[in-house]
Amino acid sequence: MSQAAERHYGDAGSPEAAATGTQAAGSGPAAGPGSGSGGAVMDRVLARETTSSRAPAAVIAAVLVIGLCVYALLETAVRAVGQPPWLIDPQTAAEKVIALPAGVPPLLLGVTGAVLFAAGLFFFLNAVLPGRRARHVLADPRAAVVVDDEVIASALARRARLAANVTQEQVMVVVSRRQVLVNVRPTSGVPLRATDVQAAVQSELRDMALSPLPEVRVNLASSGVIGA
Amino acid sequence: MNGTPRILNRILIGILGAKLLVIGTLLILLATVPAVGRWWQAWSAGMWGGARGLFDRTRFPGGTESWLWIVMVVLLLLVIGVMVAWLAQQGKGRANLLVAEDDAGEVPGNVRIGGGVAEQALRAALADRPDLAGATVATYEFAGEPALRIRVQPRQGVAPHILAAEVSALVEALDAVIGKRTPVLIHIGSGARSRFGRAERVR
Repeated sequence: MSQAAERHYGDAGSPEAAATGTQAAGSGPAAGPGSGSGGAVMDRVLARETTSSRAPAAVIAAVLVIGLCVYALLETAVRAVGQPPWLIDPQTAAEKVIALPAGVPPLLLGVTGAVLFAAGLFFFLNAVLPGRRARHVLADPRAAVVVDDEVIASALARRARLAANVTQEQVMVVVSRRQVLVNVRPTSGVPLRATDVQAAVQSELRDMALSPLPEVRVNLASSGVIGA
Repeated sequence: MNGTPRILNRILIGILGAKLLVIGTLLILLATVPAVGRWWQAWSAGMWGGARGLFDRTRFPGGTESWLWIVMVVLLLLVIGVMVAWLAQQGKGRANLLVAEDDAGEVPGNVRIGGGVAEQALRAALADRPDLAGATVATYEFAGEPALRIRVQPRQGVAPHILAAEVSALVEALDAVIGKRTPVLIHIGSGARSRFGRAERVR
């Protein structure tokens, strides 16, 4: 879930480079070639590096469960030695839960339920979704190489900017798993051909030898920039 | 690269998520549908009656409290222990030694090369490059053998394949020094420093 809506911008000020990680399209394991040494071991490393470890969600879950257990432990221990309860006696708590729709305002009950539902959805989707990271594997004879999509986007944006002869602010590149989207705003009065930009970006991508290899789409904005 | 137990993470997070989903749905239904409220009161009262009977039957001889409370304390402590153990598994797997082998020479003993050798050599080699905003090298133990993880943060616009080829040439030089091919992962990433730092324009 955390990867689904994640959006990286190459630069806060200028939209030259941006990369999105989407997990909508594509199937099969992310492990590709690009592992010269160690074969199977490096393939496993690459497969692990291109998917999320879910460590943050695991830490949140463990801390939640520990907190809950510590509180229950406190009340139970207090009860076991026959002392008065701290917040609520386990028996009283159980009786309140049984009588549930009564005793609590329905709005509060519904909102609590909705919050728990949302938290459950977060954990459940984290566990079930493939959890791909916005990364590509790069072929290399010696080492296993993974590249963040953001870095690819920024390199492609530089190449597209040189090919189109525009400034940094006029190019925005979005890299996802199977697609590279190049948005160019031409300078007003200077003709610009999309095929030139496309060819330049494509040759750069071919040099990178990514896996999976994304397709290139170039969008020329219909309105130009004045005085760039 | 690290030894985070990924399948265990997925399973445990999934179980917790499913439980929260069920509880949340039940609470929403209790708040909105009266029929569910009646069913819940009848069902849970039956369950609570059974539990109460169990507590009554397990009192200490001559006492008023049940020893089930002690069992519950032990169970809760067990759950907390398991959770702490699970937390400790996240991101583990750092190693200290790059090579620990029996030398085939005449002198008895082992040869050990610390991970710091590779880490510092590579870090020093990458430190002065103008196209990098930062580089970190760490030794991990993966699948029972040491492996190197090199994380470089290039500035904006640096071509990743050229950078990867240059880092991999450094790694090959390191192989020659150490005399062993260690598995290496090169991660070309971006962070705050590469995002907000100046772009590299001239090389």
